Amino acid sequence: MKKYLQIFKISFQQEFAYRTNFIMWRMRNVLQIVLVFFLWDAAFSSSEKILFGYDKAKILTYVFGLIIVKAFVLSAKSADVAGEVAGGELSNHLIKPVNYFKYWLTRDVSSKVLNLFFAIGESVLLFLILKPPFFIQTNFLSLLMFFVSIVLASFIFFVLLFITSSIPFWVPEAAWGVHFLITVVAVEFLSGALFPLDVLPLALQNILNFTPFPYMIFFPLQIYLGKLTGFIAFKGIFVSGIWAVILWGVMNSVWRKGLKVYQAHGR
Amino acid sequence: MAVKTVHQLTIVSNQSLKRLAYYFKIWLMMSKNSFLVMMSQKKLLVLFLAGKLLRFGFFTAFMYFLVTEADSLAGYNVNQTIFFFLTFNVIDILAQFLFREVYRFRSLLVSGDFDLVLTKPRNPLFRVLMGGADVIDLITIPPLLATVIYFGQFLNPSLLHTTFYILLVINGLLISTAFHIAVLAFGIITLEIDHTIMIFRDLTNLGRLPIDIYKQPLKGVLTFLIPVGIMVTLPAKALMGLVTFPAVILSFGIGVGTIFVSLKFWNFALKHYTSASS
Repeated sequence: MKKYLQIFKISFQQEFAYRTNFIMWRMRNVLQIVLVFFLWDAAFSSSEKILFGYDKAKILTYVFGLIIVKAFVLSAKSADVAGEVAGGELSNHLIKPVNYFKYWLTRDVSSKVLNLFFAIGESVLLFLILKPPFFIQTNFLSLLMFFVSIVLASFIFFVLLFITSSIPFWVPEAAWGVHFLITVVAVEFLSGALFPLDVLPLALQNILNFTPFPYMIFFPLQIYLGKLTGFIAFKGIFVSGIWAVILWGVMNSVWRKGLKVYQAHGR
Repeated sequence: MAVKTVHQLTIVSNQSLKRLAYYFKIWLMMSKNSFLVMMSQKKLLVLFLAGKLLRFGFFTAFMYFLVTEADSLAGYNVNQTIFFFLTFNVIDILAQFLFREVYRFRSLLVSGDFDLVLTKPRNPLFRVLMGGADVIDLITIPPLLATVIYFGQFLNPSLLHTTFYILLVINGLLISTAFHIAVLAFGIITLEIDHTIMIFRDLTNLGRLPIDIYKQPLKGVLTFLIPVGIMVTLPAKALMGLVTFPAVILSFGIGVGTIFVSLKFWNFALKHYTSASS
């Protein structure tokens, strides 16, 4: 446990070593949210309007919720694993007395803490500038389930990143390409990170519900907004947990097979 | 005397044409090399192409569902909103196709290889700006243009408005070029390229939708300070008949102005290049 605490500290300090990079990365997040905010603000030409089951306060809360939930769920250093596999740097880790998964999970947690801290600051600042109508969830059970759902979502994303990062074991040159396709494009659109998924036709939503993507961003925010409560919310958390277990199993299996064919390309 | 002047002008224009042909030939050679590199990684090409098409498809579908449900967006109907998005894509993808090399400039700087670029008998800006055309973007350009024509028809444009549209798209490319030059110059001074270019892209992404949806002062910033509105919103508005001739002229003035300022900035940066990495 002690060594992972050290990894956490070092990883946290590393983020401050590249301050400009980090600030620009956060600035990019803010710009993306600004687009989504004004898009929805324009769509709700009158405050009484209801679109896709959302009033203006709830949809703008969804947009602000995106800043926090994305910082918690999608901030991950483990996106670098694919590069380590493709470039052969993985060999350095394999000979160290450190569990590789726990190493990256620790680094992810440090990244999440830092990003969350900044995301809260950005949200407050944007809130003061834009002064949107805002929905505050006061139900303790909903807040608790929201927290559990984003913890599960973070784990699902971590495992998905590792599965994606395993592909370079077989196709080293595809490291960044696979990431772009799955963890950038697919996650951005299918998790609800750009728009709430109930904008889509029902048939498409039903198909998406059979994938882990909606449980990363859309589902936690639905719980916060009180659109999912009671048994349905519990059921969603259960399904989320099932996805985490299934993907964990897939990740272990793929990783073991990958290590058998690993040739330390580039070393 | 007058005959001599005409003769001199002819010589100058011939020299300019030769120079243009020389650079065009270099561009073709550099693009061919860049394409060959990408074609040697076919799996990567397929993955990126699929990603780009999915992203485009998802966003178009989202816009369609949203504006259909909301009836309009800042007064624009579904076809008009999608046309704004398509026009943004035309300028964005053409710029990425031509200026992909900008994304690789940092490695030239930090490795010191930029020194080698400076010693060659060609304009260094030309090399770092247009030295690696992107084949993935090239593949997406024809279907994108076909989609623009398809959706543009629904807006019933006149010949004049279509001409304005084409001229303003060219002007949009001019402004985009200026931004890319500024990013390169900024890179020489600070060694920071990757995030600067992505922030530029995020800013231009605000033009995926008509800038009428933004409120002041952001709308003013996007119109005058960082002319994203002139770059991507104005051409689409021109096709809808919402732009006058003086506005087209003014836009070209701004386009040429941004190029002038960015070239000044590039020359300034080049004078401060320290070649520290070599």
